[in-house]
Amino acid sequence: MKRRALLKGSLAGAAALAMPYLARAQSGKKLSFLTWNIADQEQLFKEEFADFQKTHPGVEIEWLDKKGPDVPAFYQTQLVAGTAPDVVDLQGALWVEYAAGGALLDLSPYLAKEPEVAKLYNADYLASWRYDGKTYMLPFYIAKTLLFYNKTMFKEAGLDAPPASFDDLLAFAKRMAKGEKTGFMTLNFDWLYWPLFKMNGVDLLTPDMKKPAFNTPKAAEVLTKLAEGTDSGAINKISWTGRWVEPNGAFAGNTVGMFHAHSSAYFFVKGQGAWINPDTLGVGELPGYWATPTNHGFGISKTSKNPDLAWEFIKHLTSNKWATEFALRRKLVTGTIVADQQSLETIGKEDPLGRQVLQTQLEHTDKFTGNWPLPFDAELKDAFYPEIQNAVLGRKTAAAALTDAERAVERVLRRHS
Amino acid sequence: MAQVWCLLAPSLAIFLLYRILPLLWNGVLSFEDWSPLKPAHWIGFENYNEMLFDDDVFWQALWNTLIFMASAPIGIVIALGLALLVNAEIRGRDVYRTIIFLSYPMMTVAVAIIWRWMFDERVGLINYVARSLGLVDRPIEFLNSFNWALPSVIAANTWQMLGFYMIILLTGLQSIPGELHEAAAIDGAGARRRFWSITLPLLRPTLFLCFVIGMLNSFTSFDLVYVMTGGGPGRATELLITYIYKLGFSQTRFDYAAAVTVFFFLLLVSVTWLANRISGRDAGAMRMD
Repeated sequence: MKRRALLKGSLAGAAALAMPYLARAQSGKKLSFLTWNIADQEQLFKEEFADFQKTHPGVEIEWLDKKGPDVPAFYQTQLVAGTAPDVVDLQGALWVEYAAGGALLDLSPYLAKEPEVAKLYNADYLASWRYDGKTYMLPFYIAKTLLFYNKTMFKEAGLDAPPASFDDLLAFAKRMAKGEKTGFMTLNFDWLYWPLFKMNGVDLLTPDMKKPAFNTPKAAEVLTKLAEGTDSGAINKISWTGRWVEPNGAFAGNTVGMFHAHSSAYFFVKGQGAWINPDTLGVGELPGYWATPTNHGFGISKTSKNPDLAWEFIKHLTSNKWATEFALRRKLVTGTIVADQQSLETIGKEDPLGRQVLQTQLEHTDKFTGNWPLPFDAELKDAFYPEIQNAVLGRKTAAAALTDAERAVERVLRRHS
Repeated sequence: MAQVWCLLAPSLAIFLLYRILPLLWNGVLSFEDWSPLKPAHWIGFENYNEMLFDDDVFWQALWNTLIFMASAPIGIVIALGLALLVNAEIRGRDVYRTIIFLSYPMMTVAVAIIWRWMFDERVGLINYVARSLGLVDRPIEFLNSFNWALPSVIAANTWQMLGFYMIILLTGLQSIPGELHEAAAIDGAGARRRFWSITLPLLRPTLFLCFVIGMLNSFTSFDLVYVMTGGGPGRATELLITYIYKLGFSQTRFDYAAAVTVFFFLLLVSVTWLANRISGRDAGAMRMD
């Protein structure tokens, strides 16, 4: 008994002596943290940082937030200067370019060492940050496209459920188009329109990602139908020309039957459209449940002087506690499983429709498309989309546009072969 | 002499550091394969080869840039008319001058947002007026149309530059000695004849100054185009300057963007040199006699 007490005392003493050493080891360390247009969450971040500093005393956290278009330019210049932020929040496919270029730290060894960490997150979303067999990001917040539909317009057109096929979608859109009203609209940036092709079996590239695969009779047929739908007014032209504000504004105007967008559109549209309530707005999925994700994740710059501390920091930010807090304050889903369950329950009490929208983000997550892990995704998008615009806006035939797009995509692939 | 160089040294150092060195580095970069994510290696004329023989977007952007540039005289002609009006003895001309000039000091991004709303299909003023007057049945999709997008952006640019041209031309008009007009009037020359034979020839340096500045402005109208259309629809409003930005900061192709920038720079220098030659090398000169 005495011996045990002595042992316990010794261990406690050693731990007490070691604590200041561990604290000293972290004191004077600095973490820089770059986020993507989320300055409105300053209070939350302050609380998260203070909580992190409790367990990591002496660690200084420098937070920088940049508007969306400024993030890549800023990060690139910091990389060149050798002062890249330790932790970075990246959206869409940008991370692949940095991962392939060696700017981001491979998180796989950390995940292998702490297997319980990966289990915290939705596996499909976590897998969407894998490149070359390695995981580079942890989920900050997640989103994928869904189909909003105007129940009033559906009722007026004698429709009672969302379309089950591409042809249904176009037929429904046509039935609802009248005067100022149009039947369907989609967001177009970051491949958000790609589910329209994927549901018809059209792929952008061959499975080895080496050659274009989209110039097929089926793709021409799909594109022709989209062009005809656009010309007739069944598809709103803003689908192909608008960015974020214009399509959301148009849907909020109560004159568009169906809107293919990701979950954040709901809160934007709800803020502008007084007509929106569970009786007037329906929430569903595109035929085949195909959706394009647009996620934000946390990565660690390879140049970080404190990678282990940065890993602790991103675990902290994506922990159940802080992910739940973030999800509730921002009304979104984070990809942290428990946090999303808890926050959805709370959100559902205030806003059942909001909960329904967010719930779709966690379903059919095996049906992602348009999120190819390509380091040159931005180049590919820029080569491909203008030709799609040419076709759907009637400047070229679908066949001609696809041929020109193929040439442009081949040029990009050739450069990166 | 040493004192002069000492006084000039700080300015020259800053000029060298922020203008000349980046220009030289840009030149070197255009012959390299480089991005922030990989080390540079020399590839000779490969970027130029791609630009000239394998890049349709470059040619489209160049064509749009030349159209944009060629639109500068439209603004200058309108500004000349306005300058003549506000140079006349009319009541409240200072107010008119101020109103016309107001467009120029506005932030270009603000101008772009205003015009984007003006051209909007649903709530835009232009479509509203056109439909109210029965001029059109359906709203015109100014910024979403392949045919209308570039003229619409040019209109917004012209509107913003109008005040600047007007002030420059007004200064030029006021530097023309009044006796010349009086003498010509006594000799029986009418207003039109005086305009063509006195005003216009003596305004030539000022007009060319406006033209050179207008062209330079057209070449660098990045913010206006980027906010109004982002270069679209398709490539309908893509200018070299917007294309360079996209290559660099969206596609991380700084090396290729550098090659396009070198071409752009040479084009700018050539056009400016040509304009100065045509103007008799006295663009912007003021007659002091």
